[in-house]
Amino acid sequence: MSTAGYSSVSAQGLPEGFKKGELAAEPSAEMIEAGKRVYFTKCVWCHGVDGAGDGPGADRLWPRPRNFNQGTFKIRHTASGELPLFDAKKPIPGQNDLFETVTHGLPGSAMPPWEGILSEEQRQQVLSFVTTQLVKDRKFTDKQSESQTVLQLADLKPKPATDESKKRGGELIVEKKCVECHGMEGRGDGNAFNLKDDWGFSIQPANWHKCWNFRGSRQDPYNVSNIFRTFSTGVNGTPMPSFADNTSVDERWDIANFVNSLCERDPLGNPLPIDPLTDKPKINFVIPSDMVEGEIPTDLEHEAWKKAPKRYVAMGGQITHKPRNFVNRLDDIWVRSLYNDKHIVYLLEWDDRTKSVAEGKLPWAPTQVNIDIKEQDPKTGEEGSIAAQQNNYAVYNDAIAIETAVKWKELPAPIKPRYLFGTNEQFPVDIVKWEADGSLRAFKGTGWDKDFEERDNYEEAMKLLKAEWKNGRWYVMIQRPVGNKKDQDYDEDTFFEVGQYIPTVFFAWDGHNGDAGRKMAVSAFYYTFMNPPVPQETYIYPVVIAVGVVLLEGWVLTRRSNKKKGKTL
Amino acid sequence: MKALMSLGALIGVAGLLLLGGMIFDVVPSTTVRLVEGYMPIQLLLEVACYVIGFTGLSYMMNAMGMALPRFWQGIGFWIFLMVYLKYRVYPPIPFSVRAMYGTVGLVTVFMWVSANEEDWKKFKQPIMNVLDAQTGMNRLLRYVYLVLIPILIGGFSFNAMMPKSEEPIELRTVHPAPPASTKVHGKTYTLQTSQNPYRVNPEGKYDQEFSNANIVEQGMGRLMKPNANPWDEKNQGYLKYVREGGEIFFQNCHFCHGDNLNGRGLHAFAFNPIPANFTDPGTIAQLQETFIFWRVSKGGIGLPNEGFPWASVMPPWEQHLTVDEIWKVVLFEYWHTGYYPRTWDYEAKHDGQYDSEGRDHRGCSLRSGVSVYCGIFVGFSARTS
Repeated sequence: MSTAGYSSVSAQGLPEGFKKGELAAEPSAEMIEAGKRVYFTKCVWCHGVDGAGDGPGADRLWPRPRNFNQGTFKIRHTASGELPLFDAKKPIPGQNDLFETVTHGLPGSAMPPWEGILSEEQRQQVLSFVTTQLVKDRKFTDKQSESQTVLQLADLKPKPATDESKKRGGELIVEKKCVECHGMEGRGDGNAFNLKDDWGFSIQPANWHKCWNFRGSRQDPYNVSNIFRTFSTGVNGTPMPSFADNTSVDERWDIANFVNSLCERDPLGNPLPIDPLTDKPKINFVIPSDMVEGEIPTDLEHEAWKKAPKRYVAMGGQITHKPRNFVNRLDDIWVRSLYNDKHIVYLLEWDDRTKSVAEGKLPWAPTQVNIDIKEQDPKTGEEGSIAAQQNNYAVYNDAIAIETAVKWKELPAPIKPRYLFGTNEQFPVDIVKWEADGSLRAFKGTGWDKDFEERDNYEEAMKLLKAEWKNGRWYVMIQRPVGNKKDQDYDEDTFFEVGQYIPTVFFAWDGHNGDAGRKMAVSAFYYTFMNPPVPQETYIYPVVIAVGVVLLEGWVLTRRSNKKKGKTL
Repeated sequence: MKALMSLGALIGVAGLLLLGGMIFDVVPSTTVRLVEGYMPIQLLLEVACYVIGFTGLSYMMNAMGMALPRFWQGIGFWIFLMVYLKYRVYPPIPFSVRAMYGTVGLVTVFMWVSANEEDWKKFKQPIMNVLDAQTGMNRLLRYVYLVLIPILIGGFSFNAMMPKSEEPIELRTVHPAPPASTKVHGKTYTLQTSQNPYRVNPEGKYDQEFSNANIVEQGMGRLMKPNANPWDEKNQGYLKYVREGGEIFFQNCHFCHGDNLNGRGLHAFAFNPIPANFTDPGTIAQLQETFIFWRVSKGGIGLPNEGFPWASVMPPWEQHLTVDEIWKVVLFEYWHTGYYPRTWDYEAKHDGQYDSEGRDHRGCSLRSGVSVYCGIFVGFSARTS
C-alpha cells in the first residue's frame, strides 16, 4: 500500500493523518441471528439472498446495490483497499463506517437512510449479520490478513476555506489529474464514459456541483470533511484511488475546500437549503419570470439574467409508461426566465456528462410517441438487461421540452391537464421541444399514448437564442411568443398572462442513455409566473391606512381623557 | 417544589435559547434534529418541555419578585406559538393554516386573561397606563406607539399588497370513492365481493387468520415474525406469494414508494404530490384490499372526477402487470407494513363507521402531507391562482 519516500508519509510508513487501528471484536451470535431477521425483511430485496447485490430490485438500479461478498465498501475511514470500520460492541460515534452508511443512506443511490425506520440496535444487528455471514472472501476479525489504518478525521481540523486555499485546491486538482475523470468544471464529464467498477458495471465520476448526491455526504452535503475523507481513503471497488500517499493533509484540505466551493449555492453564496425528507435541495414550484424593456438579452453574463431568480427543477425517471426509464441520468434542471411585451424566454441549464447528437436520421418521426425502443428485462448481464446495455446504446439526441397547459384558465378548478402529454382533445398541452441536432419544434399533445400533432407554422414564431454544451453542461435558451387572441390559435397555444400561475412541466433526454420517446426524465408540475410590474395602488393604500390609524389613535386618546375627566360624548 | 420549579425554569430558558439560536443560525439549525418516524412524538415532547419551562419560569420570576405582568405573559406565549409553528415544525405549515392556529391561540390567550374580572383588569392595566400617560416613561411610550403603530400597519399592508409569486396551495382527495366494480384485463371485479386470491393458507384456501398471523410485527423496524421468513424455500401459500409480490414491488414500485414503503423512493423527490406512504396509518391501513387493487390497476389516470387535480404520476399498472401480479403486490404491501386490510365483514359488524361505498375514506394531501393539519381541509378544495 503506502511506500516510503513520499514527504507526506510518516515515520511508521503511514500516510499523513492516519493511525494504526485495532480490528473490532466479533459480534455476538445473538446479534448475528437478530440481524438475519432484519436483513430478510428489509435488505434482501436489493442485496439478494447471498448478499451478492443481485436481489430482485438490483437490475433496474444504477448505481447498483452493493455486492457484500468481496468485502469491498466505498465509504470508509480506512486506507485504500482495507475493510471499513465496524464495531458492534464498542462503536465510536461518527467513525463506525458501515453503521453511518446504514443510518444516513447513500444519497444519489436507492439506499435510503434507515434512521427512524430501524432502531440503532437493529442497524447494528443487521450489520453484524452482513459483515460475518455475507462478506465471504474476507474476515473482519482475521488479524493475519486484515489491518486497519484509520483516518483520524476527528483530530484533523478543517482548514478555513479562504480564497487562497481554494485557489491552491483548484491548481492541485489539475496537477493530481482529478480533472481527467471529473472534468474541467468538475461536472463528472471527463474521460469517464467507459468507467467500470470491480464487477464490470458502468459507473460515473461524481459531479462536484451536486454535493447532495455524494454517496459519502452523510446527509450533510456542504460539510468539507466528507470530501476530505473520500479523497483521503479513496472509493474501494471503483477507479477513484486514495490520494493519501501523494498529498499532504494540508493539500487535501485545499482540494476539499475547492471541491466544496463548486457545489451549487444561492446568489449570496450560502449553501442551498436541503430538504431533510429527500436530501435534495428544497423545491420552489414557482418559476418567476422578470420583465425586461426591449429585447431579451441572449448573453448569460447580462445583468438581467444574473438578477433573474434561478430555480431548481427536480427530474425523475419516467417510469410510468413504456418504455420506462429506470436508469435516469438527468436529475435536475436549473431554470430562469425573462419576458417582454411580446416574448417569454426560458434559460435551461442542466448537467449531462455526454453531448449526444444522433448520427444520421432517427428511425421515427419527431411527432411519434409510441416508438419502439425495447424496455429492459431485469436480468443481469444477459442481452437486453440494463447492465449489459449501459454505455452501449445507439446514440440519440440530447433534448429538452417545456410543456404548458393550453386553455389553462378554463380548466375546472383545481384541474391541471394530465401530466404526460396532456389529457385529451379538450384539454391539450403545448409542447416546445429542442433537440441537440439544432431543431426547435412545437407540438400539441392530447394524451400520453397519442402521437403529437406538429404545429407547422408556429415554429416560425419561436427562436432558439442559445444552445451550447460546455464541460458537461447544456445551456439552452428558448424564446416563444407570450400569445394573444389576435395572432395565435387559442385552441392549441398557451397564452402567458402576467401575474398568473401557468402550469409547466419539463422533459429531458440524455442521448447516450438511449433516451428517446417516452424514455426520458420528467419534472412535476411547476408554475411559470410572470412577475407583474408593481401597481400604483401598492404605494397609495398603505399611506391611506396609516393615516386612518393615526385618526383612530386620536379618537381613542380623546375618548379616554374625556372619560377620565368625567365627560361623556 | 422550588427545586422542581427552578429545574423547569432552566429547561424553559435552555429551550428558548436553543430555539432562538437555531432560528438565527447562531447554532446549526440541525442541533436538535427532527428524525422522520420520531417526528410527531419529538414535537409533542418538545412542546411538553416548553410548557414545563414556562411554568417554572413564571414561578421563579414570581418568587424573585419580578413577576411578568399577565399582559406580557399572554403576548409572549402567543408570539412563541407563532414562532414555533413557523420555524420549528417540519414540513413547513402553509400560512393559511398557521393563521388558523394563530387565531385559535389568540382566542385561548384572551380566554385565559379574561377568566375573571380581576384578571381582566390586570391584563388591561398596562394598556390603560400608557393611554393615561401619568409617568414620564409612559408618556414616552405613548408617543413611540403613536408613531410606530401607523408605520407598522402601513408597512404590513404594503407588504401584503406587493405582488408575490407564492406557490398556490392545492388540496386533493387521496382516497376518492371507488366504483362498484372495475374491469382489469377483460375481467370485471366487483369491489365488494372480490378477495385477494393469494391470501391463502398452505392448503390453498382463503385464510385471513393465517395471513394475519404471518405479517410483520408492529413496532420499531416492523420486522418479520422470527419463523415467518418469506425467503424460506419451504413456504407454501401466503408467504410464498408475499415474496413474489415483493419481487414485483422492487422491480416496479419502490422507485417512488420507497424501500420501506414510506413514499421516499429514489425518484420521489421529483414528484408532487409525493408518492403515498403505506406505513402511514391513514393510507392502506384504512382501506380494503380491493380498493388498492383498483387504484393500482387504474393509476392516477383512473381517478374519478373528485380525485382532481390529475397531477398524480401513478400509472395504470394493468399496462405493465398481470392481474395476478397486482394481487401479489397488494399482498406484499400489507405484509411489509404490518397492517391488516379492512374487510367488508368487519364493516358489517361495526356498522356506521363506513357506508357501503367507502365514502368516508377521505383525507387530503399537501406535498408533505402532515395529517394533523390536513384534516382541516377535508371536503373542500381551493385554487389560489
